[in-house]
Amino acid sequence: MDFPQIGILLAAAALYVLFLPARWRPTFLMVGSVVGLFWLQPTLPVRWLDYTLPALTLVIVALCWRLTLAPDARVTRADWLALALTAGIAALLLLPRYIELPPALEITSRPPPAEITIPLVAGLSIAGMLLARLASGTRRGLLAGVFVLAGLFVLLKFSPLTTTLAGLARSTTGQDAALASPVDLGWLGFSYIAFRLIHTLRDRQTGILPALGFRDYLSYVIFTPALVAGPIDRAENHGAAVAGLAEARLRDPARITTALGRIAVGLFKKFVIADTLAIFSLGPLTASQADGAGATWVLLYAYAFRLFFDFSGYTDIAIGIGLLFGVQLPENFDRPYLKQNLTIFWQSWHKSLSDWGRFYIYSPLSRALLKRKPKPGNYVIIFSATAATFIVIGLWHGITLPFLLWGAWHALGLFAHKLWTDRTRAWYRGLSDGRRRAWHVVGTLLTFHFVALGWVWFALPDIGQGLRVFAALFGIGGGA
Amino acid sequence: MQEAEVRAKLRAFITKELIRNASYPLDDAEGVCSSGLIDSFALAEIGVFAEQEFGVYIPDPDLTVAKMDTLNLMVARILRDNR
Repeated sequence: MDFPQIGILLAAAALYVLFLPARWRPTFLMVGSVVGLFWLQPTLPVRWLDYTLPALTLVIVALCWRLTLAPDARVTRADWLALALTAGIAALLLLPRYIELPPALEITSRPPPAEITIPLVAGLSIAGMLLARLASGTRRGLLAGVFVLAGLFVLLKFSPLTTTLAGLARSTTGQDAALASPVDLGWLGFSYIAFRLIHTLRDRQTGILPALGFRDYLSYVIFTPALVAGPIDRAENHGAAVAGLAEARLRDPARITTALGRIAVGLFKKFVIADTLAIFSLGPLTASQADGAGATWVLLYAYAFRLFFDFSGYTDIAIGIGLLFGVQLPENFDRPYLKQNLTIFWQSWHKSLSDWGRFYIYSPLSRALLKRKPKPGNYVIIFSATAATFIVIGLWHGITLPFLLWGAWHALGLFAHKLWTDRTRAWYRGLSDGRRRAWHVVGTLLTFHFVALGWVWFALPDIGQGLRVFAALFGIGGGA
Repeated sequence: MQEAEVRAKLRAFITKELIRNASYPLDDAEGVCSSGLIDSFALAEIGVFAEQEFGVYIPDPDLTVAKMDTLNLMVARILRDNR
């Protein structure tokens, strides 16, 4: 989100707090989030796609919602109304194709023809809903939902496949398929949306997903403040927040001050500190220009802090705006660079993503291996579960070799830390307070540098350049 | 299932198998995870133990430090689904 978009969200929050009757708040959240989904979607090179992708998001969310209904649950009148309202908004957003609207009201820039879109989306939705109805709440249906989402994720994140798909999209719209690139399929927020949907499908399977009507399920998955960069809230938190909206005291000065303070801090972190650090932080161009180890370390430190201030600033803004709308989003950062070991670092950096990894990869995989007969050794289980979790977390950012290496880097670091703590636990517990504090300082410095070195893989898309940066950092070779 | 039985079995499992000190005086309200006595992998082991010993499946999102830090919390969680 840029400054004007944040300004518009703040204006919408002001109207919501001051004038909207309290009982309408949950419906407004859904309607606003649907409009936000189309509004925030960047314009794409492929014709009609910047309308089609958000519309597809809505179809996918509706299907997943239907799948998560218990087999004996009924679609209520309120659900049908919310579904109809969502479809109505999506249809209204086709209007800019037919009538000239003032630029401020042009939420969709180039919508496709209604005579194609409406039958296509309606047909897809009805067929999908019927299928989802047959499979709803069943283990097979829920697993199929997870696999479809994971498959879609691979299609969108693995550039050769994304390029092929983009070529198909270009051919469909009569554009030159030879110009296809992954940028063509820049599906806003899909990474976060997919992980939220998988969480609901899996939690339905284990029986802990709370009953959510379509209105609240949809506003959970595509809640505008958290759409672009998280955090990945949990459905039960969102459901509870929405259930309390009618009674929430949103005009409470303390609440508004906290929210606005949080947004101001976020804006400063993102647009002042992070954007300043961006000028001299590690990247393909700056790495090639750095002269010597000292300069390369400066680039790396700048990148590490830029990433933190950018992402945590964005989270502050999302949490502040969420608070204005009456939804408390989860915290995502807790001074991660001041943690004394890598395990605690991962409990304080992008927490909602690492929690997701722990709940849906690490823990189920560990438990499955623990129950195997013969049971593998504990360290084999821990290594397998940690590697699987962090490789998925790495590839979640993009299915590329550098992200895979970044995930593996952290998996190895965490496993090494586990071995270390198991062997030094007794020694550590016997340390005096002073020695323990000194050890924390050493641990913090080591952890920060391990994490910072890992960012080399994250910052550079080329492995060769990454290796040259490592060499330059330690004074080997002639620069990156 | 009796609370005392669950508590005794769980205490024995934690001290013997996870802390690896059967004589450790584990207090009911002691934070076993937050104090560093056990880690997140041990929570997965507790999940499997609850399933195999008491027939209670604890979903993964409930196997967190916040929800399972003390013996009291673990016993309450197991008994919740066993009644």
